[in-house]
Amino acid sequence: MLRIEGLSAGYSAKPVLNGVSINIDAGQFVAIVGPNGAGKTTLFKTISGILKPSGGGISFNGVDLLAVPPAQRAHLGIAHVPEGRQVFPSLTVMENLEMGAMTESGRRDWAANIERIFAWLPVLAERRGQFAGTLSGGQQQMLAIGRGLASSPKLLMLDEPSMGLAPSTADFIFERLIEIRRQSGLTMLLVEQRVAEALESADHGYVLEAGRVVLEGNNETLRADDRVRKAYLGM
Amino acid sequence: MEGFLQALAAGLLIGAVYGLMCVGLGLIFGVMRVINFAHGDFMMLGMYVAFYLFTAAGVQAVFGNAVGPFIAILLAGPVLALFGYFVHLTLISHVSGTRTASLEGEGHYAQLILTLGIALILQNGGLIIFGSVLASIRTPLSSSAWELGPFFDMSIFINKARGIDAVVSLLIMTLLSLLITRSRIGKSLRAAADNPTAATYMGIDVDRAHRTAFALGSGITAIAGGLLATNYPFHPFVGLDYVIVMYAGVVLGGMGSIIGAFWGGMTIGLVQQMSTLILPTQLQNAAIFVVFLLIIFFRPQGFFGRMVERT
Repeated sequence: MLRIEGLSAGYSAKPVLNGVSINIDAGQFVAIVGPNGAGKTTLFKTISGILKPSGGGISFNGVDLLAVPPAQRAHLGIAHVPEGRQVFPSLTVMENLEMGAMTESGRRDWAANIERIFAWLPVLAERRGQFAGTLSGGQQQMLAIGRGLASSPKLLMLDEPSMGLAPSTADFIFERLIEIRRQSGLTMLLVEQRVAEALESADHGYVLEAGRVVLEGNNETLRADDRVRKAYLGM
Repeated sequence: MEGFLQALAAGLLIGAVYGLMCVGLGLIFGVMRVINFAHGDFMMLGMYVAFYLFTAAGVQAVFGNAVGPFIAILLAGPVLALFGYFVHLTLISHVSGTRTASLEGEGHYAQLILTLGIALILQNGGLIIFGSVLASIRTPLSSSAWELGPFFDMSIFINKARGIDAVVSLLIMTLLSLLITRSRIGKSLRAAADNPTAATYMGIDVDRAHRTAFALGSGITAIAGGLLATNYPFHPFVGLDYVIVMYAGVVLGGMGSIIGAFWGGMTIGLVQQMSTLILPTQLQNAAIFVVFLLIIFFRPQGFFGRMVERT
């Protein structure tokens, strides 16, 4: 579904990504883990078109993504749940979800989508008239996920959904993601610093360090790997 | 007492038009975060467009002297919206929106120079084309009045033209706030203002949203200008007088609040008219800025502004 080949990108002269290749098949739940500054968010911004790569290519369902303007990429079926949530603070919860449904498929499936989103994340239904800026961090994260789902995406990209949240809230978010995946079969790409939870949720993983993929495999292989156990799982 | 009520009524009437004028700028600033110094000159163009539509393009001949001016003024809105659309497309978009990432100071320096340049071109171009003679959109309504009351033993006189100006302003303001709060376009404009990056992730074309806001803001201020022109004569440099009032209104309302800009403009209109009760008319504008400073001193974020910067 998403093929990233030899991707290099960065800010001005400083490269952050260095020849990254990642492949995601339809229905997969892929996690990209790694320390701060490894280039995880840069990778997502390049996929969404906020950053232009200096080399390499990205294709999505056979479409050359780099030839598609950033605002059009959501319409192809890519939903980006950004780092730090980035909900629209002066819009209500419901209006935020409506913004998620700007895509054609999102408009078509609005009624069904909103029902599912409210079932998965009931707090959004309770607070539908509240301004998003007044929600707690965990609620904003759920709104950001709901907003992503409202577009009827083919691929849901999640950038550090646990960032800045209490451990119990983060656990709840991961549990919800697994449940959403189980019920919908949606293809997901997750970027996380919480390596243990991320590898537990996903079925395939990449370890990104200093802008390079240093390790790749399914979750059992990765969790059994000595380097991963020492560096990230504290074993 | 009678003088007070009369000044209050005059303040509310002019305030409604000032409010509309400020909303045009507030919309552009709120959505794009671009300081448009040429906005007063867009308004001046709106006045002349309404003037020529009325006198030269046959609106006067078809609709007469009472209804005609207001038809011409309303038509000037779309004309200036189109003008704003092309100014954004050809000039402003190069230094704003998604282009700012690669510019120094987020493009603010370039925006400053560019909009000042546009202002100079419009002012001096206006001088060449329209000449320096004062023009005005004349209607017999501006020299007749409705009598309200008597309340107890006092009557208030409402200048007919100003009364209609205020009603038209309120109507357009109502339509605009419905558009901003209810419609899909309005919501996407607010989303693009809140967080342009996240809006792009949603599939909203931020540059196009900016162009819509710029066109809409230009058209609205043009209508407000036309309404003012039924009572106040104008010339090619008139924009300078009004742009200061516009910015004061936007700041009073709270930077970024579109509805707030209306109340900011309304406040300025009220202060301007009420100050004549105690101050000589030459000090009207000084009074505006004394009150402006007082309000900003006690409420620096303006009426509707949020203390927290948007995330």
